[in-house]
Amino acid sequence: MLTAPASAPAIEDLLEGKGLAKKSSALALLSGLGAKISRASDLPSPSAPRDRIPTQVPALDRLLSGGLPRGGLVELTGRRSCGRFAIGISALAAATSSGEAAALVDLGGHLDPQTAEEAGVDLTRLLWVRPEKLKGAVASAEMLLSTGFGLVVVDLGLAPVRGRFVPDAAWLRLERAARSRGAALFVLAPYRVSGVAADAVVSAGAAHALWKGTGRAPRLLDGVASRLSLADASTNVRLNVGH
Amino acid sequence: MLACLYVPLFPLAARLRSEPELKEETVVVCEGNGGAARVVAATRKARRAGIEPGMTLPQARAILPKLVARGRDRAGERAAQEALLEVAEAFSPRVEDGGEGVAYLELDGHPLLRPPSPSPSPPVGGRGDKGLPLPAGEGRGEGALARAILVAAEKALLPARVGVAASKLSARVAAGLPDSPTVVPEGEEPCFLAPLPLARLAPALEIAATLDRWGLHTIGDFAKLPEGEVASRLGEAGRELHATARGIDPRPLEPRVPPPSFTEGMELEWPLASLEPFLFMAHAALERLVRRLEAQALACTRLETSLTLDPDGRDARAIALPAPTRDVKTLLTLVRLELEARPPGAAVAGFSFTAHPDSPRRAQLSLFGPAALSPDRLATTIARLAALLGADRVGSPRSVDGHRPERFTLSGYVPPAPPSSRLPPRDGRGLLAVRVLRPPVALEVILDTKSSEEKVRPVSLKALAPDAPLPIAGSVRVAAGPWSLEEGWWGEAPADRDYWDVELSDGGLYRVYRDRKADAWFADGVYD
Repeated sequence: MLTAPASAPAIEDLLEGKGLAKKSSALALLSGLGAKISRASDLPSPSAPRDRIPTQVPALDRLLSGGLPRGGLVELTGRRSCGRFAIGISALAAATSSGEAAALVDLGGHLDPQTAEEAGVDLTRLLWVRPEKLKGAVASAEMLLSTGFGLVVVDLGLAPVRGRFVPDAAWLRLERAARSRGAALFVLAPYRVSGVAADAVVSAGAAHALWKGTGRAPRLLDGVASRLSLADASTNVRLNVGH
Repeated sequence: MLACLYVPLFPLAARLRSEPELKEETVVVCEGNGGAARVVAATRKARRAGIEPGMTLPQARAILPKLVARGRDRAGERAAQEALLEVAEAFSPRVEDGGEGVAYLELDGHPLLRPPSPSPSPPVGGRGDKGLPLPAGEGRGEGALARAILVAAEKALLPARVGVAASKLSARVAAGLPDSPTVVPEGEEPCFLAPLPLARLAPALEIAATLDRWGLHTIGDFAKLPEGEVASRLGEAGRELHATARGIDPRPLEPRVPPPSFTEGMELEWPLASLEPFLFMAHAALERLVRRLEAQALACTRLETSLTLDPDGRDARAIALPAPTRDVKTLLTLVRLELEARPPGAAVAGFSFTAHPDSPRRAQLSLFGPAALSPDRLATTIARLAALLGADRVGSPRSVDGHRPERFTLSGYVPPAPPSSRLPPRDGRGLLAVRVLRPPVALEVILDTKSSEEKVRPVSLKALAPDAPLPIAGSVRVAAGPWSLEEGWWGEAPADRDYWDVELSDGGLYRVYRDRKADAWFADGVYD
């Protein structure tokens, strides 16, 4: 049977620096600005209140307790024409109008700068990246997170997603990158892709178009109504056409 | 006071700077081809074994069969010389290029040569009052400064020696002595030179033979001769040599103008035909280049690549960077992409990279506002993204005047400084966005035949191409339109369209149009 030598310092002593009084390099690992080891109790708790970036879509902000959490990944899934892209644009508008630098990783290259500007996005603060494959989108998002963008929106376009699937580990890496930089990562996908990495997965379902005019009268597209739901809560959202 | 920075066995030092893995080997650098190749410089191990400069390569190989022989690398030597001069320029604005492995610099005015002031001095290892670096070592004066120069040269991968004296010649002779640094106090040059052998003055062969015949072996012996007698027997060259032997060197320092760019490269032993081995060599060269840029607090804004092709020919290309960067990985990726896109067409026998420098961007951090992006890091990221995805796929979107929904333009991403305090986000307008389909998807549309020509209405849509990137198919549940769009009728590509918003049976909302000129239908947007 293996037993620890009687003189071996306990891990608590090591963390206090007691057993390493003469080893300055080891002490540097434990304390000061360059500390690399910390107690689990000193780490930020996942349940601790986090600063949030509002999306300015009241229904979603309500679901997410105020907005997109900084240092976390939120995934919004939904089928075509459910208002997913509009919510992403709204989040970008909220972040850039408050002076924050934001990035949009746009897998399909779908952004319309005119519409985005009308929705309130400050285009001078927005970096638009248009990868062609999913792998490129994930790699771009990781680079942007490590650069220090406050909000990175990754839009995976319309189904089927172009390019191959990426492993779950890639999304975990993205979540870690967002956490370490204190950035909000917002993934818009036609179906769930981020696996267990997401802090919250919101699904947009039961979407239907709203038309003005009935019967034989000329019609006008007025907007889309959709139902957003988390695992344990749901709410309705309505998005209007900006005529 | 002047300092001479001297790299002994310079061709060998330049070669080992390019190929540091050879440092532990027994290496000689040769000049010439085949059996006529002569040893120019040899490592200590080779010299101990009896190999001397001037030997032919076969003679050297007879002594050491496992000898590693390399040819002279002119491109590498040029880069090493530039690196040496940059080390000198870090200590003085007046630097003279003394040729192969030699640089002179003026030390007057350096903070370390001034008497210590009673006021608190700047911290050791920081920067002096003229922005000149102070050494991490102890003390002040010429010795401490010379040691700092040595440390800086070592960081630039150059095994240099330093001599400090009042004249160029004395400094050069002092730098040649093995115990570096050597400082010759001002006015003591004759005393310093006197015991040294005459060979230190590098006299012409004819004069050296004459002096040897006269039985003169040290500089001091020669300096004792009367100047007039020496001049009458040895001519003008002898008179000048006599003056230098007495410590008189009237040559002033001739400062050089720093070049506007930084170059690193090497001539290869064998031509390289595949990309990976070339990139391996290029990586090391780019690392050296970036280290030099870093030492000058600069970054690369344009990288020029020049390839010497085998058997002859040259391939030159330039890579413009979106913003100044010092990231080796980015530069290497850009070189790789450039070469993959346009292969040189022949094996590469040598290469050089020239970096055009610019100041890296800096930003002031804010205490209360949103965090500003580090311009240096942002530039690197944009360059890496451009290398990964293509330069036309990264940038800041801009709206364009006009009516065509697909219009857009990209500009360089230079975000304005964040506000000093965080602003409240603007209220959202809750607008439905349109995903623009670029290019538009061609459609096969069934129209309502009961309608008149003016009130034509789509009934069913289907993507024309079976492998269309976006599968669109279904019957039209609701259709609103048409709205006419006519633009650019005076140009070569006019737009003449009738737009409809349609809801299909699968719930998808599309923006479709009929091109009136071509009488074809397209979907150019999805409401989402």
